[in-house]
Amino acid sequence: MLSRVAERIYWLARYLERAEDTSRLILVRHNVILDLPRSVQPDWELLLRVLGAREHFADRPGAASEKNIMSFVFSDRDNPSSIMSSLTNARENMRTSREVLPSETWERVNSLYLSVARRANKGLPRASRHSVLNTIVQSTQQISGMLAGTMNHDASYQFLQMGRYLERADMTTRIIDVASEVLDDPDEDVRPYQNVMWVSALQSLSAYQMYRLSVGNNVRPPDALQFLLRSGEFPRALSHCLLQLEAAVKLLPRGKESLKAVQSVHRKVKRTNCAELEGEALEKFLDSIQVRLQGVHEVIEQTWFTPEQ
Amino acid sequence: MAESSPAIKAPSPYRRARPGIDWNGYDPGDFYDEIISSPGNARAAARGLVSYTRKMSIKHLLSRQQAADLAIQEMGISFTVYSDGENIDRAWPMDILPRIIPLKEWRVLEKGLVQRQVALNKFIDDIYNKQRILKDKVLPREIIDSSPEFLEQCIGAKPRYGVWSHICGSDLVRDSDGTMYVLEDNLRVPSGVSYMLENRAVSKRVLPQLFEKHFIEPVDDYPSQLFDMLASLSPRPGDQPEIVVMTPGIFNSAYFEHAYLAQRMGAELVEGSDLVVGDDDKVYMRTIRGLERVDVIYRRINDDFLDPEVFRPNSALGTPGLFRAWRKGNVGIANAPGAGVADDKVIYTYVPDVIKYYLDEDPIIPNVPSYLCVDKKHCDHVLKNLETMVVKPANESGGYGMLIGPASTKKQREEFAARIRKNPRNYMAQPALSLSTAPTLCGNSIQPRHLDLRPFILQGKGHYVTAGGLTRVALRKGSLVVNSSQGGGSKDTWIVDTESN
Repeated sequence: MLSRVAERIYWLARYLERAEDTSRLILVRHNVILDLPRSVQPDWELLLRVLGAREHFADRPGAASEKNIMSFVFSDRDNPSSIMSSLTNARENMRTSREVLPSETWERVNSLYLSVARRANKGLPRASRHSVLNTIVQSTQQISGMLAGTMNHDASYQFLQMGRYLERADMTTRIIDVASEVLDDPDEDVRPYQNVMWVSALQSLSAYQMYRLSVGNNVRPPDALQFLLRSGEFPRALSHCLLQLEAAVKLLPRGKESLKAVQSVHRKVKRTNCAELEGEALEKFLDSIQVRLQGVHEVIEQTWFTPEQ
Repeated sequence: MAESSPAIKAPSPYRRARPGIDWNGYDPGDFYDEIISSPGNARAAARGLVSYTRKMSIKHLLSRQQAADLAIQEMGISFTVYSDGENIDRAWPMDILPRIIPLKEWRVLEKGLVQRQVALNKFIDDIYNKQRILKDKVLPREIIDSSPEFLEQCIGAKPRYGVWSHICGSDLVRDSDGTMYVLEDNLRVPSGVSYMLENRAVSKRVLPQLFEKHFIEPVDDYPSQLFDMLASLSPRPGDQPEIVVMTPGIFNSAYFEHAYLAQRMGAELVEGSDLVVGDDDKVYMRTIRGLERVDVIYRRINDDFLDPEVFRPNSALGTPGLFRAWRKGNVGIANAPGAGVADDKVIYTYVPDVIKYYLDEDPIIPNVPSYLCVDKKHCDHVLKNLETMVVKPANESGGYGMLIGPASTKKQREEFAARIRKNPRNYMAQPALSLSTAPTLCGNSIQPRHLDLRPFILQGKGHYVTAGGLTRVALRKGSLVVNSSQGGGSKDTWIVDTESN
């Protein structure tokens, strides 16, 4: 397959995953804030920090209000990581590689894009927030399912898998960041809410039920962290994503360097005692994983996307 | 349009009469209408459609149109328009009422279209090789000498089967007396076939009942026919050929079609930068496995841009060395470089002579009478009768730079006359035909609108003609401009067998 097409498919998968995970991320925050006692000032800016978009947000006019932050992460086309931008890019990548993807999936991606674009100017008010974000999550899940169920599991599918799992690995670390943020600074009033926050994070990752099945315990922060970082079975856990990345890379020609890069991230995760991480150490660990994942991306790019000669 | 037609014929007492479409109110005037022969009466091939819509309210029909519009949006059927330096992706406009042609008539047209393409390919091959037709003075040499589409780099080239234009789109129009004429031949990179296929997909979705009532020739075969034709051009016969569709990129107005055809053929869709010509003069593409050999290129990029080594040196859309690889016979290119020499509105006027010369046959489909402005007598005639003429530049497509006499202002005619006097070789004129009409949904009613037809003809080792083609319709009242870039729409085209009914 053409290098250019491989690159577009890879990015298609990344952007779809990004739209889904950003929706999940906003949902975590939204649910947590609804649960917090009234005395606590809801901190929406956390979303910006976790998405690495704080400076970008500051450059634009308007205060850091809930409403402004919501439209910035949801529908602002000037924000390259907003859901709207992710869907626009996903659609553009798909539109330019339609010839290798099942046409039904193009219809789904296109109609998801159109439905979000249609309501983009309405922002994301609390009343409809849950249903809008949930629809995005469901639609992207549907698209992933269609792709898995209707296309050849050939090289192009492996690029799809790589894009999806690399992005998901990265976004899972960011979602953990959001869930653990309040824990770092436990105020007397907030302490009882610690577990609630992790329950909410697990739920937003569709992980709550699987956590119960797999861990068997009530939700405790160290167990939840261990589960989301180290589970090989849960599809949104960091370790699982890395295993999937490895599997995809192994099925492609010339994948040696990429395999090494993925395995080195995985080693780092395995060597770390995840359950004990908290506060600044956790934040530093998550950051270092994000940097290493970026490194994996660079190797993938050099191996398959950069044209020879 | 009347809302109801009380008791058309005594309705069965068991069935309640519903207000349906009243065809008595539909009047195309002096024009030939493709569906209705006289007020209230359907042509034989269209009887099923008309009787079906008689039972349907206009509201119901409009809801089907909306369903079609939605399907088009969801299927992402679009085209790109350039406007103020911007590219806008627009949903493809399709009217759900089909245009219907009887199979019997179509069989004759098919023969005529193949005849034309065969003769034109012999002509192109002759022009780049022996030039017999010029030596025999059937065609004046100046016309070739002054043609910007004649590429001297192609002299002596011998593409397989002697075929240069493998994919041809000839535009057909019907005059008020019912005669079909060829309006022009597109021998370079004709577009529109994907819309023909998608229009059919949409009408099957929204009007499935009608497909039970008619014997409609299927059109879905085109991508496989195209693939086989392209495969027959491979320099490595026997092996599974690597076929690619070469596009100028996402910003091209026909990009949708390029991607569509590549997808339907299972071919790679490549841009110039994806290809590389090696020192061995063979073409390769850059893949995740490294370089892979390419056998046939279906190029959707103009000659000028194809190869910066030979043509426009600053072209970033092409691939250096492509022309050299083609001349050495290491890659098949469809359509071949230089094929455009026969796609010139001046050459067009000679096509009847070309057919006679190479095939010793009379043309099955007539040309529209044409006047070449380069001929002094013709030019005077044109200038005197601008009001009733359609004047076209010899080398433009997409309906740009035309003067439509009957719809023009005095000022426009004066401007055009000056342009013609300045460069007569560049213009030809035809009397404005009374283009046929077909019922079209306009707002809340059904009205006659003018249309043309672009069938697609393939020639490689064998021949193939699409069943029908793309019907384009001028959506503005009285307008003759059918180009989608200028407010035209389209219709599904049905070739209907009335005899096996």
